[in-house]
Amino acid sequence: MAQTPISTFTGGCLCGKVRWRAEGEPFHVNHCHCEMCRRASGAPIVTWATFPSSKVDFDGPRVVRRSSQIASRSFCGECGSPLTWQGDASPAEIDLTAGTFDDPSSLMPRDHLWTDSRVAWLTISDDLPRYRTSRKGGLTEK
Amino acid sequence: MSNNAAIARRGGGCLCGAIRYETLGEPTSVGHCHCTLCRRASGAAFVTWAVFPAGAFAFTRGAPKIIRSSPKAERAFCAACGTPLWFRYTEGPADIDVTVATFDDPSELVPQYAIWTSSRVAWLDLDRHLPRYPDDGPDFSPYKG
Repeated sequence: MAQTPISTFTGGCLCGKVRWRAEGEPFHVNHCHCEMCRRASGAPIVTWATFPSSKVDFDGPRVVRRSSQIASRSFCGECGSPLTWQGDASPAEIDLTAGTFDDPSSLMPRDHLWTDSRVAWLTISDDLPRYRTSRKGGLTEK
Repeated sequence: MSNNAAIARRGGGCLCGAIRYETLGEPTSVGHCHCTLCRRASGAAFVTWAVFPAGAFAFTRGAPKIIRSSPKAERAFCAACGTPLWFRYTEGPADIDVTVATFDDPSELVPQYAIWTSSRVAWLDLDRHLPRYPDDGPDFSPYKG
């Protein structure tokens, strides 16, 4: 019986010193509009792909720092590229920034989170579900 | 009535707070950039930039790490938390492009156009009303011509 091929995603930072590799399919891909993601990335929205942390390997000068009381973020110490978000409540999962994927077009975002914090001028034309806060926080009207 | 009172002063800074900056006056332009370098630098699918004359921007706390991000450009970020802060060309007008999302209140820095849409990630469908340019569009670039 033929084995199901396992997907492999690769990515890295701007300067190329940090490279990562993720195996399998992401559990989830979402757009986050929260203020912390905005500050961390300098962009209005950060798109995240969630993988099992055991399936993601990093190589290079990655800096991990506690970014809030509930989570840590990492970035390249040489060029600053934001790389990951990891919540204390779910250490078995890690979120990778879509912008550091070598081929982000292969991802399929499923929803928008924290749209209550959305930058007012940003108009989104996709039909994905929009959650006011987290996925537990309920949907918002478009 | 003083005209000075009308000059906008805006504050911003990185995620961890080690770096703070201030801008004076209105940006000369605000636009989305979909290029692959901005994507890598931010981790996001696109970056929104506000362009100011270099003299209208100042750090008020801390100093960033500056890297040469391409042969004719530099980017600055917070060495403590990674936040991307500005982009500038090393040739041409003395402008500085500030990441709009690091302003304390980005709501008045409204994007007017999108550049490098030839590199746009297809699943990102936003601001359809804005002019889209496949390349640098109206922006200065030392790589042009």
